[in-house]
Amino acid sequence: MSIEPITGRYLNVQVAGRAQRIYVEEAGQGCPVLCLHTAGSDTRQWRHILNDAEITKTNRIITFDMPWHGKSLPPEGFHDEEYLLTTETYMATVLAVIDGLGLDRPVLAGVSMGGRIALQLARHHGDRFAGFLAIEASDFQPAWYDIDWFHRPDAHGGEMGAALVSTNISPHAPLAERWNTLWMFMSSGPGVFRGDLSFYTRDDSLVGNLGDIDTAKTPVHFIVGAYDFTCTPDDARRTADAIPGATLAVMDEVGHFPMSEHPAAFRSFFVDGLARMPSD
Amino acid sequence: MRHGARKMLEKLQDVQMRLQDKPQLLRRGRLISDTVLLRVDGDEFYLHFDKGALATITPGPSKKIPYQFGLSTDAEALAAFWTPTPPPGFHDIFAMAKIGRLEFSGDILRLVKNLMFFKEVLLLGREGAA
Repeated sequence: MSIEPITGRYLNVQVAGRAQRIYVEEAGQGCPVLCLHTAGSDTRQWRHILNDAEITKTNRIITFDMPWHGKSLPPEGFHDEEYLLTTETYMATVLAVIDGLGLDRPVLAGVSMGGRIALQLARHHGDRFAGFLAIEASDFQPAWYDIDWFHRPDAHGGEMGAALVSTNISPHAPLAERWNTLWMFMSSGPGVFRGDLSFYTRDDSLVGNLGDIDTAKTPVHFIVGAYDFTCTPDDARRTADAIPGATLAVMDEVGHFPMSEHPAAFRSFFVDGLARMPSD
Repeated sequence: MRHGARKMLEKLQDVQMRLQDKPQLLRRGRLISDTVLLRVDGDEFYLHFDKGALATITPGPSKKIPYQFGLSTDAEALAAFWTPTPPPGFHDIFAMAKIGRLEFSGDILRLVKNLMFFKEVLLLGREGAA
């Protein structure tokens, strides 16, 4: 028997004029590190980092379910609207969580669409953060699939989404963690993965504007897995090369969901990334 | 039948037998009664699924057998896919498509709606698959 050190609470905040009840998990103390989940999933992706006693000894690891995801409800009136995440709403949500929790310049660690918004925040609100870990992140990824596949009445969008994203899980990942990772996609709400992908595959506003990011003030470190075929190492490298001073590390045996699919292989890259961030 | 085609047919028959021992996978595919065309180095294999079971495998060529969707690849790529830990790009059929070693044809939405089932069936050919 064991009880994990992770604690969960609900934060009630206004985001872009709408009340949101946001589920937040955290563990540890020290430098605040705010961790963002991928599209179509939730905080459970970060369970291994949250449970890593060595990391949480000096870092306060915090993660939250985006509205519509995990244990965060959609906003009032959701039944009468189409969920389509936007860059503006996503940035406002992250900043609202930082304000709501009273965090002082946290490190922002975002994966996939979380990595994309980390780069947007580095560009537009860099002074609110100590630095950025852009994991499986790039400037833009057009869809090679039809995002409408994942919300339709005659098929299970969650299972279809899980099957699609399994393309990006490394064969080196432990079987149990592969399926844990897929389960989160299977259990996402109807239309949520599609709405996330709308942001991820349609907003190309970072292209040509990455030079605005000042890594002298807030470092940006990329981490990418060789088995990621949504954001390939070439995609991450192209993006890092457009940001003066950005650094990049490639994980040979990992895919698009490193912290969840293959935590043992990801750990040293995450620790190395944190070491590159200013600690004061 | 040329040697390569005969070896591939034997491999697919092995997958067919392994699927019979996978009740949960058969349950996942219980609503699937489709014909899938697998083309390897130009050799055709029509996989007839009946309520999730791989009922028969009909070698081609044929211009008469209707099928819902097809996968076209080469034996070298498929051999890499079936190793225990394939290199990046050969670990998944959609990744193989992205690197240009596999093409889909036909009703791709039919494939995507049942993607987990078809992916798991193909993975039965991977070395070390239970």
